[in-house]
Amino acid sequence: MADLVVKDLRLRLGDNEILKGASLTVVPGQVVALLGPSGSGKTTLLRAVAGLEQPHAGSIAIGSNVFYDAARNIELPAEKRGLGLVFQSYALWPHRNVFDNVAYGLKLRGTPTAEIKTRVKKTLGQIGLGDLAERYPHQLSGGQQQRVAIARALVYEPPVILLDEPLSNLDAKLREEARAWLRTLIVTLGLSAIHVTHDQVEAMAIADRIVLLDTGTIAQEGPPTALYNKPATLFAAEFMGSNNRLDGTLVENSSAHAILEVFGERITGMARTNAAVGTKAVGVIRLERVRCASGPGANRLKMELKAPMYLGERWELVFAREQLTVRAYASAPLEPGEHFVEFPPDALWVF
Amino acid sequence: MPIILYRFIVLGIATLAVVAPLSLVVYQSFLTAPFFDHSARLSFFAYSFVFAEEDFWQAFWTTVAIAGGMAAIAVPLGALLAFLMVRTDVPGRKYLEPLILIPIFVSAVVIAFGYVVAVGPVGIFSTLAKDILGFVPWNLYSLFSLIVIAGLTHVPHVYLYSAAALRGLSTDLEEAARVSGASPLQVAFNVSLPMILPAILFAGVLVFFLGFELFGLPLVLGDPQDVLVLSTYLFKLTNKLGVPSYQLMAVVVVAIIAITAPLVFMQRLLLRQAQRYVSVRGKGLKTQALRLGSWRWAAFAAIIFWLFVTVVVPLFGITLRSFVVTWGEGVKLSEVLTLDHYRELVDYPNVVRGILNTLEIGVIGGAVSVVCYTAIALAIHRWNSGWTRLVDYLVMVPRAMPGLVAGLALLWVFLFFPPLSPLRSTMFSIWLAYSIVWLAYGMRLVSGTLLQVAPELEEAARVSGASDLRVKRDVTVPLIKYGMLASWLLIFLIFVREYSTGIYLLGPGTEVIGSLLVSLWGTGAIDLVSALSVVNVVMIGVGLAVAVRLGVRLHG
Repeated sequence: MADLVVKDLRLRLGDNEILKGASLTVVPGQVVALLGPSGSGKTTLLRAVAGLEQPHAGSIAIGSNVFYDAARNIELPAEKRGLGLVFQSYALWPHRNVFDNVAYGLKLRGTPTAEIKTRVKKTLGQIGLGDLAERYPHQLSGGQQQRVAIARALVYEPPVILLDEPLSNLDAKLREEARAWLRTLIVTLGLSAIHVTHDQVEAMAIADRIVLLDTGTIAQEGPPTALYNKPATLFAAEFMGSNNRLDGTLVENSSAHAILEVFGERITGMARTNAAVGTKAVGVIRLERVRCASGPGANRLKMELKAPMYLGERWELVFAREQLTVRAYASAPLEPGEHFVEFPPDALWVF
Repeated sequence: MPIILYRFIVLGIATLAVVAPLSLVVYQSFLTAPFFDHSARLSFFAYSFVFAEEDFWQAFWTTVAIAGGMAAIAVPLGALLAFLMVRTDVPGRKYLEPLILIPIFVSAVVIAFGYVVAVGPVGIFSTLAKDILGFVPWNLYSLFSLIVIAGLTHVPHVYLYSAAALRGLSTDLEEAARVSGASPLQVAFNVSLPMILPAILFAGVLVFFLGFELFGLPLVLGDPQDVLVLSTYLFKLTNKLGVPSYQLMAVVVVAIIAITAPLVFMQRLLLRQAQRYVSVRGKGLKTQALRLGSWRWAAFAAIIFWLFVTVVVPLFGITLRSFVVTWGEGVKLSEVLTLDHYRELVDYPNVVRGILNTLEIGVIGGAVSVVCYTAIALAIHRWNSGWTRLVDYLVMVPRAMPGLVAGLALLWVFLFFPPLSPLRSTMFSIWLAYSIVWLAYGMRLVSGTLLQVAPELEEAARVSGASDLRVKRDVTVPLIKYGMLASWLLIFLIFVREYSTGIYLLGPGTEVIGSLLVSLWGTGAIDLVSALSVVNVVMIGVGLAVAVRLGVRLHG
């Protein structure tokens, strides 16, 4: 099977340009997460791939099977694309029981009744709902409904399965379990999938690659580790993880290092900008990389501990100095008062 | 079949069914003679003739007076009734609600007959009053009485829209006024009713518009005094010149539509505005009834009095009349009780046919109509195209045609196109006329249920591999099944009640109770009329009871 390739897709709703040239490749056996804040166009992109939204430029294809190509005026209707889609609301048909919900796609493909039975049974077995075939959607729990929705999208073995925030309707505890279950299912069945989510942890956990969207364009894409550890833009850096933000003036900028001046101190970080010396710049550092030091030193700022918060497995400390607030994690609380906060140079990105 | 083909076929048929009768009427109005007459030529003759008629202008101004008068009565009463029913602790609200809606569902001619036999010059209540007071303190046959009765019977229309708007309003606004020291009545007039003003305004235009459609009440109550409104003028015109004066009738029809069409358009604009207003709803959906205190029973008594005058008097009158030989001064009711009028019904084959036809048009015709309305609604459902606006405007056309007019226009269509004429004397003609007249209502019922289908349910089927039409068959239609059943029940009620649409189509084989009542009333067969009226009311009562039992919302 060939890659699913989306090229420079543009889509307008009214006067509002939702997608401004989004490109994407899904290699067979890979899960790609479309990640972004609300309004970034991630769901629209997914729906355009499914054939439920109409782009006005670009192309979508799996190998020689062209779904959409603005230049060649090709637009395959949703039902001819043969993809599987799991809706955020699951969209199980309330007038059909679990078996009929799952069997529908096979029925439409003219599969013989006997084969439908075995394949639906097999799929329901794979998702662990083998004994609930006769139930109606309203008789299932949220987690079970979600599994049925996945089974319905899997049963006719689509080349790519599209997941539209499939976990967001579950409560927090269930969501973590479902996440692990879904990742296991994807790995065992060797599925190719596009997974839309606004939850970066979910994206990192489930996906092989993450495509980060920002107002209709792709901000960055790559494996989860790259997105988390090597953000290319300020948006990417701030969207992933929990962060501190240091505003300062750029006093030195080479290809590798940049030095920010904050409260008269020189703070060194990784250069992520071409801005000239003397301009304003922003430093971003993950909460878990901030260290509390006992005395002054390189890349340290003197700050006052305002509020220690107990989070269960660790403490979160809030330091402040004038307008600047820095949060950090610690395994034990510190005494209130003045402390030194260290920003390791390899963990601080300067934009 | 590709979906687009389905869409255009359905829209094409619907457009033809709606536009053909109207175009024929307009065409006829510019001819010098009926369209089948070979000497007919194009001219403005009919217009100058009708507009020179004093009777026409008399009828026009009477209609305006009645429409304005009934709006002036129905709007304040309906709005106040809505406030009492929705927002206060008036006793027995749950049981009053279906009773309030009765005037909407009972045929206006039946109500009119009821008033004649109850409070007419020799009515049961009039003789009673004469026995006690020595004179009858009211005169049924006057323009004033006609306006009052028309106003009172249209209170439910205003009530429906005002109540819906009130239910959408947050109650904390009222509670705030109450806490600030306002009495319940002050709360109603200073807070609640101003907030739902757009809805009330809409209802006012609606009632004014219904005033132009009024036919049964002025026909029965206005006739003895020669009070003519446009619709009854049209009805009388049928034989004005000895020969069928189609061109004159067509001009009157065009005149009526020229007034009603802008009113329909205005309603559309106002309704949008009203909905926008209401959609700003607060979170306080939990309604806390406003305590009326000592006003509680006064309000209850007022509602009961209105129900007595509008529902009990006419329905009691007609029912009692159907069970007695006669009544009058010095007649003891216990001595004149009889079932003969009901037995007599069977002696008239056309009456028997009429009863059966009415059931048939309600049950079978209603079902077929709902299927047709659904077909149209499905054609535009999830269609992202400017063509859907065509349907918006299409349903407004029959809305502007009173039933009498639509029946006449359709009769002409059957006469005009010879291939169709064999259908004229079958129930198909009645069904078609009814379906066209109630197109807007039926479409609103069906699209209301369609709106409740979540788009993902249909999209899920698309992605699974179902074509557009397959999605509608496998997902959309099964999901709106219960909505369609409810619509069927409501359409049944409407079709069984309908009287004016069938009048011009009345003939052997096309009798329905409504049009038979009008024609029998003309012959003075009051015994038969009262028995048949009761049969009609019972049919509607059974339908209403089923609807209430099944929990069908009586207002679409």
